[in-house]
Amino acid sequence: MVTVKIDGREVQVEPNSTILQAAEKAGVHIPVLCHHKTLNPFGACRVCLVEVVGNPKLMTACTTPVTDKMEIVTQNEKLQKLRRTVIELLLINHPLDCPVCDKGGDCMLQDLTFEVGLTNVRFDPKPNDTPFDHTNPFIERDIDRCVLCGKCVRICDEVVNIQAISFINRGTETYIGTSFDQPWNCEYCGQCMSVCPVGSLNNRVYLFKNRPWNLEKTESVCGFCSCGCSIIVEHEDNEVYKISEDPDLGVNHGFLCAKGRFGYELINSPEREKTPKIKKSGEFSESSIEEAIEYVAAKIGEIKGKYGADSIGVLVSPRVTNEEAFLAQKFAREVIGSNNVFSFETVNALPEGTYEDVENSDNLIVLNIDVTESNPVLGYAIRRMGRKEETTLSVFYPKVTSLKRVATNFFTGKPSEVYEKIENFINGLKGDGEFKDLADSFKGAKKPVLVYNPYDELDLYYANEIKTLVNNVITVPCRLKNNSQGIVDMGCTPYYKPGYVKTEAQADFRKVLEDGSLRALVILGENPLLHPEYSDLGDILGKLDFLAVTDPFMSEVAELSEVYIPVSLFAEKDGTFTNFEGRVQSLNKTVDNGVISDLEFLALLSARLGVNLPKGIDEVQDLIRKEVPLYNDVDFNGGTVKYPFVLDGAFALKKVSPKGKGKFKVFPGSLRLHSGSFTRRSQDLSRVYAEPAVEINPTDASKLNVGDGDYIILKFEDTTRKFRVAVVKGMPDGVVSLPNDFKETADLFHKGKYLKVDLVKHNG
Amino acid sequence: MKNIFDTIFFTEIFQGLGVTLKHMFKKPVTVRYPYEESPIYKFRGIHYMNVDERGVSKCVGCYLCEKVCPAECIHIETDAGPNGERLVRKFEIDLSRCIYCGFCEEACPKDAIHMSDRYDTVDSTRDNYIINMRYMVENRKNVKGE
Ligand code: SF4
Ligand code: SF4
Ligand code: SF4
Ligand code: SF4
Ligand code: SF4
Ligand code: FES
Repeated sequence: MVTVKIDGREVQVEPNSTILQAAEKAGVHIPVLCHHKTLNPFGACRVCLVEVVGNPKLMTACTTPVTDKMEIVTQNEKLQKLRRTVIELLLINHPLDCPVCDKGGDCMLQDLTFEVGLTNVRFDPKPNDTPFDHTNPFIERDIDRCVLCGKCVRICDEVVNIQAISFINRGTETYIGTSFDQPWNCEYCGQCMSVCPVGSLNNRVYLFKNRPWNLEKTESVCGFCSCGCSIIVEHEDNEVYKISEDPDLGVNHGFLCAKGRFGYELINSPEREKTPKIKKSGEFSESSIEEAIEYVAAKIGEIKGKYGADSIGVLVSPRVTNEEAFLAQKFAREVIGSNNVFSFETVNALPEGTYEDVENSDNLIVLNIDVTESNPVLGYAIRRMGRKEETTLSVFYPKVTSLKRVATNFFTGKPSEVYEKIENFINGLKGDGEFKDLADSFKGAKKPVLVYNPYDELDLYYANEIKTLVNNVITVPCRLKNNSQGIVDMGCTPYYKPGYVKTEAQADFRKVLEDGSLRALVILGENPLLHPEYSDLGDILGKLDFLAVTDPFMSEVAELSEVYIPVSLFAEKDGTFTNFEGRVQSLNKTVDNGVISDLEFLALLSARLGVNLPKGIDEVQDLIRKEVPLYNDVDFNGGTVKYPFVLDGAFALKKVSPKGKGKFKVFPGSLRLHSGSFTRRSQDLSRVYAEPAVEINPTDASKLNVGDGDYIILKFEDTTRKFRVAVVKGMPDGVVSLPNDFKETADLFHKGKYLKVDLVKHNG
Repeated sequence: MKNIFDTIFFTEIFQGLGVTLKHMFKKPVTVRYPYEESPIYKFRGIHYMNVDERGVSKCVGCYLCEKVCPAECIHIETDAGPNGERLVRKFEIDLSRCIYCGFCEEACPKDAIHMSDRYDTVDSTRDNYIINMRYMVENRKNVKGE
């Protein structure tokens, strides 16, 4: 610890801290412009100049480390004058566009101008006037307003590691742009925009819709993927205008991905249903909530009376909160009296590692998953880890992903070849083979981490092998959806009651549907038709004696239902989600679109069936603490759950055997920013990929005579289908990828995870 | 002596009558409201919008007038236009709530919103008190000297 004196106040700080950090600790305000606390010090703007007593030169507070007994002056006439001049110089070429500029009211340049008391610029203004750039679908770029703080360039490099934008030219000609002024294609994560202090980079989804002083801010948790990012929902009245971030909240250091940052318009989507519907003689007609609940209760009562409790089932989606999932299984097990509570989540793999483990790992393996797409913010943690000197990051995946830049080893190839390499790596761990060196370094690592896909049986097998062979390895199963983990914890599976207490009767979703023992099904937000494994069950579901579906949107399976009840989305309810680390975090209701939540639906329905389940969020949480031992003493605002096991099950080694005949091998890939169920409802995300696309490498594409954006015919067995083409580098020859969770593709993958297909150009 | 003369001949009365007579030939100072419009200067009345050379309102929808309005009677909605430009979707003032303080005029950075000297706000329904952008652009024509 060293002692420094800032404006007369003495503080003790760590030896390596900067003057700015010390000032923060002392409670002294130093104005900054180019500094951002998640980025490395840069020192571009000179707004933070301070005086160090005994030193003739002024120092930049954001980059200068403190020394013992340093005495610092942050405010005096000279400094004030200097800061004013710095701002004055910035304003020479700055178009004073504030009334039009979307940043107005939230702009650091405005604030600084006000702070230094600048009312009159002594120089002749020469405002720049370059046209706006709209090549990025989510970010508006106006280089005229740029103050060249470099934050965008730095965050894209240091955090996202895409290096999509950079300083172009020198001196007064400098601007921020892409190489060779190409259209701005990147990850679209919007990190650059979030740190831009001025209106140079603006959110196009929110563009000009409101002003910052009108917006109320509520902390919540993102409802898209299992990363569990903390978000700030900015809303006015009942409309969500913007999702922003706070570096001090949660686990994500203020980083978000394109889905979380730009996908929120689906909350305000005109496609959303507002009134429940009951199907009578094949046609939906609108009804009131009471009527719909009454109808569901009557039907369930009738079927239970006729065929017994086991003829009724509940299917829960990973989009619901822990509280809703808990009530859903309680509804099935206690109100109905049946163990038929299903979800499509895996129960064999539970969380172990956290973000911290990933970031601090010295040897990390990404096993056959495109983690930067499936779990983007976990992807940032892996990139951070990979960028450090002396760490080893190895990736096994059929195609080259954006981890390539930071990976030490990247193993690609046909899916079967990738598995061969994984097999060889396992052999290496056992002591021989071509991967012996890598295996040895993994074994000898201080903190080896394995990131894998817990939904694939083969991947589970290999993860289990690695876990057995390397005793200190920390596993990170990449669950997909926002509450994929929580619903299993809450016992939404026929195999476990809440908290992983094994059940006796273990029904299988497919079996009970196929043998006809299931007569009625209540689906909470799930859509089996988009799951390759269950995509063939549409006919059976349509013919059930009774099918009720709750979903924020009229989904494909909701169309088949007899009663459809629209329910609220993550921004419209209270509750908790559990992310892939097993971290429980609370979300807050911010807006109300006049629809009920699944929680209210379950409570109303149970009450109608004669059992009163708690309805208030606090009561349900108290009950969870009581009945789910796992959650007993977990802090619902960021605490992690301690799990009873990491991997459990009889994992069998199966060879990859692609189904069908054809020249091209298909593996299920993650399409940029998308899954076909939820994000597809966002018009903005759909601007990047509105439909599933076949990803193919440039050589194969030119052989087939197709280009990016063209259509291609895919022939698999008797099915022919038309898809858009996305040409990507880094896809192996003869291999293409296609997302498997779109309505256009789910049934193709029903036969198997890997396919062999023929591709021909689509003409016309 | 003079006093006696004045007393005998009622000169002051004639002087008074003279003043009255003089005023009978002058322009009247009263106005026959509501049959005639009363001329009013330095008065803050119904708002109008300045226009640019193309005749389009100068307002860019910056929300400053809405923010500064103490009666909260200005309601603005903006959005991005097809070419990514700033577009004012809706601009309404509820005259029945407006206190005619002129703060909006003061706050406007674009010299767009101004107050005319029209005070004839009386109407029969509340809805008619809500004026929009088109009304304000039209109202500009009622301003003297425009
Ligand atoms: S960047 Fe800031 S100062 Fe510049 S026009 Fe926009 S709001 Fe005004
Ligand atoms: S959106 Fe993300 S990837 Fe794209 S330039 Fe900005 S920081 Fe980089
Ligand atoms: S675009 Fe914004 S963040 Fe990037 S250098 Fe310019 S002002 Fe800084
Ligand atoms: S990484 Fe996942 S949780 Fe985070 S913002 Fe993106 S979708 Fe939301
Ligand atoms: S202050 Fe002027 S430019 Fe801004 S919204 Fe009001 S009228 Fe329009
Ligand atoms: S904030 Fe220190 S130089 Fe910019």
